[in-house]
Order: sequence, then C-alpha cells, then structure tokens
Amino acid sequence: MNRKSLKILSLGFIMSILLAISAFPTGDSIPTGITDDNLVKNGCTCHTDGPMSSDVVITLSDLPEKYNVSQVYTLTLNISGGPDALADGNQGGFFIQSNYGTLESIDNNTWMPEGETHLTHNEEGNNYREWSFNWIAPESDSKVVKFTVYGNSVNGADGNAGDYWNKGEFSSAGVNAKIAEDHGELSMPQKLIYAFTVLVVTLSVVVVGNRMVVNDQSFEDVIKSYWKCVYPWLTTTDHKYIGTLYICTGFGFFFVGGILGLLIRWQLFEPRIDGDFLTYEEYNSTFTMHGTTMIFMAAMPIIFGFANYLIPLQIGARDLAFPRLNALSYWLLPTGGFVVYMGYFTGGAGDVGWTGYTPYATGDSSTTPGTDFWVAGQIMLGASSTLTAINFLTTMLRMRAPGVTMMRMPLFAWSIFVTVFLLLLSIPVFTVALILLMADRTFGTLYFDVAAGGDPILWQHLFWYFGHPEVYIVILPAFGVLSEIISTFSRRPIFGYTSMVYAMATIGIISFIVYGHHMFTTGADPLFRFIVMLTTMLVAVPTGIKIFNWLATMTGGSIVLKTPMIFALGTVITFTIGGITGIILASIPVDVALHDGYFVVAHFHYVLVGGTIFAFLGGVYYWYPKMTGKIMNEKLGLIHFALSFIFFNAAFYPMHNVGIEGMPRRYATYDAQFTELNEFITIAAFIFGFAQLIFVYNVIYSYKNGEDAGNNPWDGWSLEWATASPPPHNSFTEIPTLKLAEEED
Amino acid sequence: MSLLHDLIFFENPTIWNDFGGDYGGFGGVVWQMFIWSLLVGLLVAVWMGYNLIYFRHADGDPDHKDALKVGVFPHERGNPKIEIAWTIAPLILVSWLTLISLGPLDYMWDVDGQEADITIEVTAGQWFWSFGTPICNEEKEDPEEWCSTGIYQKPVNFDECEKPTANPRGCLEIPYGAVVHFRLTSNDVLHAFNFPELGIKQDVVPNLETLTWLDSGKFETGQYSIWCAEYCGTEHSLMDADIFITEVA
Repeated sequence: MNRKSLKILSLGFIMSILLAISAFPTGDSIPTGITDDNLVKNGCTCHTDGPMSSDVVITLSDLPEKYNVSQVYTLTLNISGGPDALADGNQGGFFIQSNYGTLESIDNNTWMPEGETHLTHNEEGNNYREWSFNWIAPESDSKVVKFTVYGNSVNGADGNAGDYWNKGEFSSAGVNAKIAEDHGELSMPQKLIYAFTVLVVTLSVVVVGNRMVVNDQSFEDVIKSYWKCVYPWLTTTDHKYIGTLYICTGFGFFFVGGILGLLIRWQLFEPRIDGDFLTYEEYNSTFTMHGTTMIFMAAMPIIFGFANYLIPLQIGARDLAFPRLNALSYWLLPTGGFVVYMGYFTGGAGDVGWTGYTPYATGDSSTTPGTDFWVAGQIMLGASSTLTAINFLTTMLRMRAPGVTMMRMPLFAWSIFVTVFLLLLSIPVFTVALILLMADRTFGTLYFDVAAGGDPILWQHLFWYFGHPEVYIVILPAFGVLSEIISTFSRRPIFGYTSMVYAMATIGIISFIVYGHHMFTTGADPLFRFIVMLTTMLVAVPTGIKIFNWLATMTGGSIVLKTPMIFALGTVITFTIGGITGIILASIPVDVALHDGYFVVAHFHYVLVGGTIFAFLGGVYYWYPKMTGKIMNEKLGLIHFALSFIFFNAAFYPMHNVGIEGMPRRYATYDAQFTELNEFITIAAFIFGFAQLIFVYNVIYSYKNGEDAGNNPWDGWSLEWATASPPPHNSFTEIPTLKLAEEED
Repeated sequence: MSLLHDLIFFENPTIWNDFGGDYGGFGGVVWQMFIWSLLVGLLVAVWMGYNLIYFRHADGDPDHKDALKVGVFPHERGNPKIEIAWTIAPLILVSWLTLISLGPLDYMWDVDGQEADITIEVTAGQWFWSFGTPICNEEKEDPEEWCSTGIYQKPVNFDECEKPTANPRGCLEIPYGAVVHFRLTSNDVLHAFNFPELGIKQDVVPNLETLTWLDSGKFETGQYSIWCAEYCGTEHSLMDADIFITEVA
C-alpha cells in the first residue's frame, strides 16, 4: 500500500470515529429522574443530582488543631462559591458528622434528626450559607477526630438545576493522639504486588551488580549484553519466537492467576468477616482478576502459543501469512494484560466478575478506575484475538505444503482451524459489547442503563453469545492435543479421523446456539430456555464421539506410557467428569438448584483445568523436545502428574458436594455448615498449586540437562517431526511434501 | 469421619424429591442423571483400564503395519458401524434426558393455572431483601402497618424510609401448607432469589417482574434462609434473609 492511500485510509478512520462519537446517545440526566445513589450513600441527600463541584468552598472555622478533653467548642461552617443566591429564600444546606465527640445544635437554624449523630440545616437554616453549632470533644485525649462535611450551594429557584455541592474533611487531634502519617492502608493484593516489585528490582540489582563485579564490566556493557539477548525477542516476527513468547506469557499469567486463585481459597478457608484476610471488595476484585486472567491471559495465550509454533510446522509453511500482524497480536497481549492489572494501582482492580454483568458493571458501585481498566484492557485482548484469528485462517487456507489437503491436516491443526473460526465470529461481539460498556461508563451513554429504559438482560445475551463459543475455543485445541498425543503413543493412526474432524466442526456450530443455558434463571422466554436445553444436551454427542475415538485408538494399539501420554489419559478422565456434569447442568430443573453455585465452579474447573490445562501440560511435555531439542525429565514429570492429578481432584471434586448443598459462588464468606469441606478444598488447592513448581523446575532443569531429543523422539507422523529440533530459522530447509501411507505401501 | 461422610452424602435440595415423586420416583430426572453419569463415567474408566492392561507396548514388539511414519499421512482407521453406533447411542440418551426434564419443568414453571394462597412482593437491593410493599412507600409511616399488609410479613426496619445502609436482615413469616408466590423485582442491579434448602433460584431483575413459588407444606416448620445468588457487589455474600414457616392455628 502506498503512502497516499494510507493517508486516505487514516483520514477515513478518523472520520468514522468522529461519526461514531457523534452518534452516541448521551444524556445529562436519567429520563426517569432517579437521583444518584452515590450521593445518598455519601451522606449528601441534598437536592441535587449533579457531580461534586470544586467551585463550592467549605470552611470550618474555630476548630482547634489540638482539642482539650470534653471541652465545648463552638464551630462555624461556611460555604462559598457556587450560584449567586436569590435575594430571598434558599441559599444553601449542609451536613456534618464527626467520628468522635458529640455535635449539638445551638439555634433554630440547625437540627439533629432523631437517632442520628449528624447535624444538618432545617427549614430556617437553608436561608443561610453559614451556620454555628457546638461540638463537645471526646473524653479521651488520644483520638484523632475527623469531620465529614457536605455543603450545598443553591440558587433558591425551584428544582435543583444550577445547585452545586462539595465535600470537605477536617480534623482535630487530642494532645496525646498518635497521628499516623496518612499513607492510606494498602490492600492485600497491592501489598503483594509491591512485594513482587521490590523483589524483582532487588534481584535485578543483585544480578547486574554481580556481573559487573565478577566480569569487571561497566554498567553499560552489562546492559548492552542483556539488550543483545532481549532485542531479538522484542523485534521478532518469527512464528517460533512469537509462539514461545505467547507460551511463556501465558504460563506467566497462569502463575499470577494461580496466586489469585490461592488467595481466593485462603479467604474461603473458613467463614471470614470483612477484612479478616481480604476485605469483601478485595475478594471481589480477586475472583474477577482470577477469571479474567485465566481465560484471556493464560488459557488463550498458551493455546495460541502452541498454535503459533506448531501450525506452520504441521502444515509445512515457513511462517504465518502475516508475520508482522502476528507480532502485533502478541504485543497487544502483555499490553492489554498490563492495562487490566493497572486497577491494582488505582485503588482496586475491577470487581465485576469476569462476566461483567450490567447493570452492576455500569454503576458507580463497582470499583471505578479498576473496572475502567478492566474494560479497556479487555478490548485490547479482543483486538489481539481477532487479528490472530484472521492470520491463522489465511495461513491454513492458503499456505499448506503439497500433499497437505484439508482432510490430511493433523488433528491439532484442525482443532485450531475450527477454533479460529469460532474466535472470528464470537470475539468481535464481546469487543463491541465492551466498547458500549466503556461508553456507558466514561461518556455517559445509556446502552445498559436500566433506569433509562435499557434492557437489563442485553449484556448477558451479548456476553454469552461470545462466552459460550469462548469455552469451546479453549477446549477444542485441547482435544487436538489429546488426539495427537494418544495416537502417537498408541503407535497407531487415530481411530475415525474423519469423524473426529466432523465432531469438532459440529461442536463449533452448536456452540453458537447453546449460550442461553447460562441464563436459565434470568426469566428469559421459556421457549428460548427450552431450546438451549436441547442444543446443550446435543453437544454431548460429538464430544462423546471424540472420547470414544480416543479409547478406540488405544484399543489394539501398542501403548507407550510416557509423561505426555499419562497427562493425556488423566485429561480424558477429568474432562469426562467435567463433560458429564455439563449434561447435568443442562437440565433446567436440576440447573435451577445448582445455578450460580459451587457445582458450576466444579464443572468449569474440571473442563478448563482438567481439560485444557492438563492437555496443554501434556502438550508441553510432548512438544518441548521439538522446541528445545531436549527431552523433559521423566521422573519429575511423573511426580508432577501424580501430585497434580490427585490434588486437582481433591480440590475440585468436593466442590460438587458443596454446590449441591447450596453454597453460592462469588461468596466472600459463607454459612458455617460448609466450613469443613472448604478447609479440605483449600488445603488440596494449595498442594495442587505448589505441585506446579515442580513443572517449572523441570522445564528449567531439562533445558540445561535434558537428553538430546533428535528430530522425532516420539515417532510422530506429522510434518513438525520432519524438521530439526529446534527447527531452523525458516522452519524447513526445504518445503516438505506430505506422502500418503497408501502410496508408500 | 464426618469429612468423609460429607464427601459421600449430601442433602439434596427439597424440590428434587418432587421430581422423583410426581415423575417416577427412582426414575425421576435427578436419579436418572446420577445413574447415567455413573454408567458413562465407568464405561470410560473401565475401557481405558482395559486398554492399559492389554495393549501396552513391550520392548521388542515388532512395528505394526499401521505404525506411524514421519511425513506420511497414516492409513485411516475406523469402522463406520461402530462410529454410527456411538453417535446414535448418546443421541438417544441425551434426548431421553431432555424428555424426562420436561415434566419437572412444567412443575416449576407452569404457574398460570395455579391458585396462590399468598402472593408476596419481594424487592431486592444492595444489599437487602424486603418483603411486602415495595420499600420507601411513604404512605406507610407506621411500622405496625408493615406487618398488617400481608398477614404474616415482618418488614426490614426502614427508618424514615431511607435506604438501609448496614445490611439489615429482612425476614418473612409464611404459614405452613400454603402455596406462596413471590413476585420479584430489583431496586438497582441483578440479584437472585435463592432458597437453597428448597433448590429454587430466580434472578431478580430491575425493570422486570419475575416470579417464583413454593409449597410450604413440603417443609418442616422452622427457620430457613434466603440468599442472593447473583453477584451484586461488596456485600453480596451477606445479603440474606430469614424465612420462617409456622403452623397457623
């Protein structure tokens, strides 16, 4: 594309963005005239629905810096600024509350409502903008007293148009008060992040310093030598490098998400009061970030990392169709992830759940900047996935080596092919929904505003239209991995290749018409709910075909039990359990009891951890030799599998029981009857978490000490085993041709 | 011991008994789900075990004629009859499970012709349940009046008709042996009316009236809880209410 047409294109983009902005349905106030809940919660029940205004200045005079015990002080509150008052009638109002000591009205302009501790103006009092009252200091001289004041400056006209309000805070301390410097309390996750930051900075200083001393190099030399290592990774467009980056980023986020998961488990170790371990708000952020991280920043990057690395190798291409686009897709991932996590530095990460249901997500009640970052980061991740989908579709349709027809692609390639179709058709819907949500939150539009007539269920339709294909996006590639591993280690071709392909395609198609099963209790049309019950049940058919085909592949085979195969077989077991509970949940009368409870949590962890993560751990053991040229340590692999499998089941199986007995999900605390099982789950979850460290150790250990793998350590058939391990720069020295077994005979 | 007990046995939601009772006892949908799950799970496990015992690779085994060769698309294995069989069998199974889910569905949903003994308006908000008249109805300033609106309802204490700030526990008293309809609506965000003991759940949606019902004759008299099941913010896990089922003379 030449410069001129690029210019025209950019102009077109800007024009359409401007057009789109002008088309936003915005509104200053809600048509139904409901006042802002936030104001009431803040204590300002005053006659206004506008935001706080800095034009209004509040002063509280005669307040001593240090108070004497039990002394009576007469304070004067004054508000200035705001609208010019009309000569007669209303001028303003106020509200004041102190956390220690007693407020007292001394004239006819102020009063204290019965049963309350705050002072406010009365009918006479609103003709002024200055009020006096008494404050009796507390009996203890070690308190720091805080006054919270709201002042409303009004123009006296009917209604509240043109009125402005503001909030003020004042304090006074006893002579013996210990005045803590006001750092603000750090939240638990913030502490963790700061701790990690300190740790990383310290480590890098030590490592760099060590090299400077030992090698007698200058600081610049050391940094330059690191830069030499980092530079190729930052600028690469090679699918193998990008694949590796994806996989490492994915597992990195998996680690972070895992820590969040363990925080959740520790919070649920026993019923906790607010702030005992995490505050409820922090807990809500924690499960939101856990879900978002695991789905979008761990599972999907791991999948697309493997796809990046393997698809060109498996179909005999040198690279993806658009290598630079591929790099862009990748770099949107850590950027988007970072943006999502920015919430932790702005007073609390998003707390709307990974599903982000409106109207909660549009409201003021959700942690404001954190949720905005959550939305913004997710949009980037959505863009990344869309670009990836286009890239892979093009590559797989146009760049297959001779002999690799569609029906001769390895099943992992087929699974990715179906996956990117789903991705392309579903994730833009979510991205658009997120843009609408962002517009609602930041530009004051009213798409999801129920009070303005928005549909309260609309978001759920948009989200789950994407959300259900999304879960197949993460499970289908796992099916692909399992098919490869089980066939290779049974030393036989896969049983029913054609039916495997059709099964995956069928799952892909059905996935778009089942999403309503997430909404069985919403009060949506009964016919709609009945239809999705039926279609959801139907998913069991192609999934069953796949499981039976795997088992039939093993029957009559010659099974070699190496770590990848053991992981694959473990996955078949855990995934089958997850699939079965899926059918149970599909039945509406049963689901109504289990919906939004721990049975559901157990179900999707069996599918996502027991299915996707286990399969891809097997995938790491299987393809690590191809990527590094070294075989992973078998003994460590077996220990890793045994601990993972046992404690995964110990952690997640009891959740079925807790769920049937009625414990709802997303609860920061729970009824005491569930304590025993929850303690058991928490302990098992921690062991499961720590078992993954063995895997990390194995990856590093084997990279240094592993046996040489050779080109084809497992005797696989597909083309990635035909090239060197690790593959050369352009993947193949010569583009291979896939032969047919029938011709070979 | 009791942990083991908890892992094996569980108290099922009361409503499942009705699925068994009116819809074929042991053959009810929940039981069938359980039995078929067990059968399918066992089939997979046993088949896999059988494979692992009889088809293990031993050193020195000769290569099968089908064995995989690198760079060669292998022989297609398969048997259309078997594959069709395990397509049709699950299809029949899930169709059957869908079919037997319909009866209980009628039982839960078909409330049009049902005569309600009591209808209770339920309002949910962050983070409370209120029963009876929608909150902040300024005509009812006298708290006593709250109790007299519906015969058996005790309201949340709405002092001065302000929004309650500190999670008050709403409570509700219903008579034993009555069919009770709940008309649900929300003040702010989504909530869900969840009666875990019974196993009913209905989202409470702003700007939309949803309905759920129960037959208090299926319970023993006593105290039960209502929880919120749809995530609604900070105090989601504290949003509960007591429900008393009492014998009325």
